[in-house]
Amino acid sequence: MLLAACCLSAAACAEEPAVSFNRDVRPILSDRCYGCHGPDANKGRKAGLRLDELAGATKKLKSGDVAIVPGDVKKSAMVERLFSDDPEAIMPPPELHRPLSAAEKDILVRWIKQGAVYEPHWAFVSPKAAPTPTVDDRAWPTDPLDAFILKRAEQAGLKPSAPAERATLLRRASFALTGLPPSVAEVDAFIADRSPDAYEKRVDALLSSPRFGEHLAVGWLDLSRYADTWGYTGDKPMFAWPWRDWVLKAFNDNKPYDQFLTEQLAGDLLPDATQDQRVATAYNRLHRMTFEGGSIAEEFRQDGINDRVMTAGYGFMGLTMECSRCHDHKYDPISQRDYFSLAAMFGDQNENGLLSYHGEVPPPFVRLYKDEAERKKEAALRAAVSAAEMALSAVRSEYVGKPEVKVPVPVAHLPLESFTKSGVENTVAGGKPAVFERRGSPEDLQLAPGVKGQAVKFDGDAGFKLPDFKQLGRFDPFTFSAHLRLGEKNARATVLHSTGFYTGDGDATGVELLVVQGRLRWSMIHLWPNSAASIETTDELPVGAWRRVTVTYDGSSKAAGLRIYLDGREAKTTVLRDTLHAKPRDNALEIGSRSRDAGFRNGSLDEIQLWRQSLTAAEVAVLHGLDVQTLPPSVLSEHAKLRLDQAYAAAWQKFQDAQRALAAHQESAPAFFAMEHSDLAPKSYVLTRGEYDKPDLTKPCEPGVPTRVFPWNETLPKNRLGLARWLTDPQHPLTSRVVINRLWAQVFGAGLVATSENLGLQGDLPTHPELLDTLAVDFVRSGWNTKAMLRRFVLSSTFRQSSTPTAEAREKDPANKFLARGPVLRLTAEMVRDQALLASGKLVEKVGGESVQESANRRSLYTYRKRTAPPDNMLIFDAGSREVCQPKRLNTNTPLQALVLLNNPGFVEAAKNLALRVRQEAPTVEAQISQAFRHVCVRAPRPAELSALTALYAQQKETPPQLAAVTPSPQVDPKAKKKAVEPAPALPKMPADPALAALTLVCSTILASDAAVTSR
Amino acid sequence: MDPLKPSYDSLLRPTRRHFLGTSALGLGALAMRGIMGDAQAATLPKGTHFPAKAKRVIYLFQAGGPSQFETLDPKPLLREKNTQPLPDSVRQGQRLTGMSGYQATLPLAGSFVDFKKYGQSGVEYSDLLSHTGEVADDLCVIRTMHTEAINHDPAITFFCSGNQVAGRPSMGAWASYGLGSMNENLPAFIVLVSQDATKDQPLYSRLWGSGFLPSEHQGVQFKAGKEPVLYLTNPEGVSPHARRGMLDALGKLNADQRAAELDPEVDARLAQAEMAYRMQTSVPEVADLSKESPATLAMYGDSVKTPGSFAANCLQARRLIEKGVRFVQLFHQGWDQHGGLPGGIKRQCKQTDQASAALIKDLKQRGLLEDTLVIWGGEFGRTAYSQGKITKDNYGRDHHPRCFSLWMAGGGVKGGHVHGQTDEFGYNIVKDPVHVHDLHATMQHLLGVDHERQTFKFQGRYYRLTDVAGNVVKAVIA
Repeated sequence: MLLAACCLSAAACAEEPAVSFNRDVRPILSDRCYGCHGPDANKGRKAGLRLDELAGATKKLKSGDVAIVPGDVKKSAMVERLFSDDPEAIMPPPELHRPLSAAEKDILVRWIKQGAVYEPHWAFVSPKAAPTPTVDDRAWPTDPLDAFILKRAEQAGLKPSAPAERATLLRRASFALTGLPPSVAEVDAFIADRSPDAYEKRVDALLSSPRFGEHLAVGWLDLSRYADTWGYTGDKPMFAWPWRDWVLKAFNDNKPYDQFLTEQLAGDLLPDATQDQRVATAYNRLHRMTFEGGSIAEEFRQDGINDRVMTAGYGFMGLTMECSRCHDHKYDPISQRDYFSLAAMFGDQNENGLLSYHGEVPPPFVRLYKDEAERKKEAALRAAVSAAEMALSAVRSEYVGKPEVKVPVPVAHLPLESFTKSGVENTVAGGKPAVFERRGSPEDLQLAPGVKGQAVKFDGDAGFKLPDFKQLGRFDPFTFSAHLRLGEKNARATVLHSTGFYTGDGDATGVELLVVQGRLRWSMIHLWPNSAASIETTDELPVGAWRRVTVTYDGSSKAAGLRIYLDGREAKTTVLRDTLHAKPRDNALEIGSRSRDAGFRNGSLDEIQLWRQSLTAAEVAVLHGLDVQTLPPSVLSEHAKLRLDQAYAAAWQKFQDAQRALAAHQESAPAFFAMEHSDLAPKSYVLTRGEYDKPDLTKPCEPGVPTRVFPWNETLPKNRLGLARWLTDPQHPLTSRVVINRLWAQVFGAGLVATSENLGLQGDLPTHPELLDTLAVDFVRSGWNTKAMLRRFVLSSTFRQSSTPTAEAREKDPANKFLARGPVLRLTAEMVRDQALLASGKLVEKVGGESVQESANRRSLYTYRKRTAPPDNMLIFDAGSREVCQPKRLNTNTPLQALVLLNNPGFVEAAKNLALRVRQEAPTVEAQISQAFRHVCVRAPRPAELSALTALYAQQKETPPQLAAVTPSPQVDPKAKKKAVEPAPALPKMPADPALAALTLVCSTILASDAAVTSR
Repeated sequence: MDPLKPSYDSLLRPTRRHFLGTSALGLGALAMRGIMGDAQAATLPKGTHFPAKAKRVIYLFQAGGPSQFETLDPKPLLREKNTQPLPDSVRQGQRLTGMSGYQATLPLAGSFVDFKKYGQSGVEYSDLLSHTGEVADDLCVIRTMHTEAINHDPAITFFCSGNQVAGRPSMGAWASYGLGSMNENLPAFIVLVSQDATKDQPLYSRLWGSGFLPSEHQGVQFKAGKEPVLYLTNPEGVSPHARRGMLDALGKLNADQRAAELDPEVDARLAQAEMAYRMQTSVPEVADLSKESPATLAMYGDSVKTPGSFAANCLQARRLIEKGVRFVQLFHQGWDQHGGLPGGIKRQCKQTDQASAALIKDLKQRGLLEDTLVIWGGEFGRTAYSQGKITKDNYGRDHHPRCFSLWMAGGGVKGGHVHGQTDEFGYNIVKDPVHVHDLHATMQHLLGVDHERQTFKFQGRYYRLTDVAGNVVKAVIA
């Protein structure tokens, strides 16, 4: 790095130190200049000047000036601006509030003087392995990585530290690989094992422990914003933990990282995708979803896509993609078009932007079968359906002649001649009247002359409902018929539906007859648009004319089973959707209006009739008064087949039985959200300023990638699978570096690039660039082997050093960037709690499964994560809410942390159980305290520590706990309950036995000590 | 830039390691961290960019979107045109929510309640805010607030953090980060949620979260009852004396660890535990309203006696800022009147009007109003037209982000002043719009902070409460 400078004249080099563009110049230009003179072409590039590339910087500007003339400081207009006293002229302008220091100005001047050499940003150049450096202390390195570390430390005048104590080392390795400390027995065995590979054996045991995956998963869950609820208003439960278990298993099975990435981004697009590979794609769907009343579906669909792009940007590339949603990236080579090309990849689904009000799993989804046999059963049932369908179509009706056609008696008939106070008369014998809906009074609906007597005219907001007309399922045939007249060419109008409560299409379910741009749309919906069968007339209905509309559904779950008839003849239709996957919700039929939707404004209906069967074309014709004799033979023979042919009836029954059997089997397995490519996905356009309602129709976006980060290989498919292949190309400059840096940070406390969330131009430079690149290359060569890489880290001499600095080392390298000593880490929220549970002997170790409350004593990664109210003690220890991707956690010290450690019921309970445990394990108080200390801190207490704790024990035992007498809890008036203040949770209680209470407080103190919450 | 020199981001670590140990609440660390507005500022002392008019803020957040038409923005024309459709020329094709967006007609709804002029200034308040009217001459009403989001979650997130996206620091977290607390025994940012409110729309901890700022800047929620702060109370059977003994032992453990490991962070951790111990005394003290005089209690109204009520929280807020807390935010839910507005808003005003006014009077009589900024308002306003059917005594209003009202008082704000003007329909802004970013900029300005300079570098970008926008509204400053 230091030598990577430039080719200058010998004279220049002799005079002054060489300037490196990447190391010295770009950070200044990027931070102070690129905001206005950078890669963003479409917003606010000032004076037509761009300074991020040589051509732009040396171009003659409108003003006639040239910003940079390589080698010529005097002719470079930029230099004058840097040193100007004029607030109007000086650069950067005062309003940026980040003026250049004298040293920074000097760097820029020297750089121009030395020829203004540009270099590509390091992180966008493919990594190359560097030769292992030679070091003074040749005996020290155990792994090539140690040589890189030592070389840099030696340059800084630092010597490596002595090896760490064995107990400390094992605790450190154990936390790094499993997130839990070793047991006392494991430590003792390790200390006693003098074989040369004693440590290696322990490390291999840690790597193969199921705890490994439980620990490694946590960081990925942060990055992937995994939680157990959907977030936003209402924050309903999100069924996602099977994906979390997939991650866990992937780490434990050491799934190669390229596959780990590919299956999550594009498992559904892999040939013969397995159930697990499809579950993996839920990664893309873990973003928040809202069902807040009145939300606009497209706004939230775009936000969801944005979240997917952003999350993949941080997770796989270490880039801040979301900046380019509204404009070209200010610093990195990602244009707004690049962004929406990526958005096209992630928005390739036939999906709804809103969650349904009832919180159903939003399609697309897969069925989670518990085993292979169940999966095979589904395939067999599918085959049975196909066979039954074939058999059905093979039935040849033998009928010739003219059958008698008789219209069945409807189950409801609303002649609409008058209103009663509460509703609309139903003339079918025993039929209940329809009741007014939405506005609740007859004056909102008008009676006007219709086809037969009076008809009803709707205002768009009021309608009526048939409360008893329910259970219109996917297997239930149904017919609706009425005279219908449009009063306007409605853009959207609901004529008939069984949806119930409604917000946008997010809640559309059941049967639905709409007018859309003057056309009739007839649908059977589970959840729109993904799981539905739907057809639409090709022609518009005339405005102002009466037509008899009859719509039928045969209960087949298919678009072919939907028909629309106008004046007794089947209308020409197109199929919009033919993918009904599950049953709709069960709501009563409503006519003329729907909550939070456009009703049948200015439209009229007359003589409404309903059947719980699907009328045949011939019956519809007769219903309209057509003469049977005039009907085409095909209509009549179809009628005969449907109504008179026993063979057909039997085949139909078989087909329906097969379908029901398949559905029953499918519905026995939970639905699980996943990605599923669909050609019906809306097209992607550049959104002006990133706003959902401003697509720039002149800028459609094909799926694509930011090619200036890494070129696209034209042989790849232009979809998420191609994206995964692009990312896992061995030459991709970011993917491997990002993983290595993250793994390094996990083990050594900070990444080789400190800004592990951003490897772009505004990120930090690597402290050890050659090491990062060499490890990245090694990683790809090893087959993206995560465990092998972590094994190298943990077995390295660097990792095995003592973390205690000398005074000199502390002075020279307070933050331990040179790693001439071992890493020190404050335990994470998960580790702090899991350690206490483990020490107390109460940790319930079960891998995977449904998320649980803290009281279940499982590892913290299984704690139920409600996004709008995350677990308090986790937040207090710097965990996030998992609402959005969190690439890095901060590490703070606050008084609330002390309160958690000393007073949180879980921690108090752990202290009590630890006290009980050591009372069983050791004879004397001193031995008990010592043992408790070792259960938590692993090493034995030092004399000063032990004496402080024994003194605490003696002092506490003398003043036994003052416990309030047990009083029955006061009677709560159930009526007053709602108004009452939330009761404070019950306080944890000390044991009454003074000795046990004293020991509990000693344990509590140990859990709160630095030795407990720090890995050293 | 030398890769071995720390970046602004990474400076946080050594800074905290070096300095946190010297302070109690970790506020000393803030002192050293400061406002990182320019290249060197990471090491400059914290604090203000220019003299502050307000030292602290009490934000009375009215969650759900209070209707301006029945509170702060009288529109006689709506009464005249009651039930007539909203003219298209007024709506100008602006988007509506999916709640009323498909409604066949949008009938204008006149306010059911009258307005009167109050005080010397003669500013109009509705009869539902008669107590507020009594302090009219201390208040500055802004009638031209506008925002970007149209649904609750995005809108309230936007108002509380300057961005609709989750994960940005809240207003109070920025104040804590930039200015710190003035009391080493209490957090700088405290949140109080009304227990007597109708909880029609939920609240989320992100609204007072620290986002990417260190978690010590999170708002700490004070609750009514035995344990005002989470985990504040010792386990049953652990006396303060016993806890002292534990802390002394902890001190010895950590001192030994410090000596063995040469790590100043150990001291920092102990200092936090000691601070927690002091909070165990200072928090119950400040949360004990029983010492307040009968006259004071009477001023806040009867419900002040109900723990956790809006009134009790107003009084609590005064006690907190007296002790030096920088930013107190109250949340009162229940303002989301899509239907049944007359009844609903009567209830809301009854719960909040008297105590809000009492808070102003109480601060004033104690000489605190001049340097305490009080703000009352919600995340958006409501539509001029009725959502759903309008009848003689019942109607509802949908969300309206294009204009709404709030009031501010104290802390350098003009009293008896109305800023901005909406059209006769209360649908669009005619004059002097104030965007949420502008309000944030103004609030920070009054606190002595230049909103463009108080930044935090995160993921390679300099973030601020006002994002890339915001103008200080000079016209509301006295």
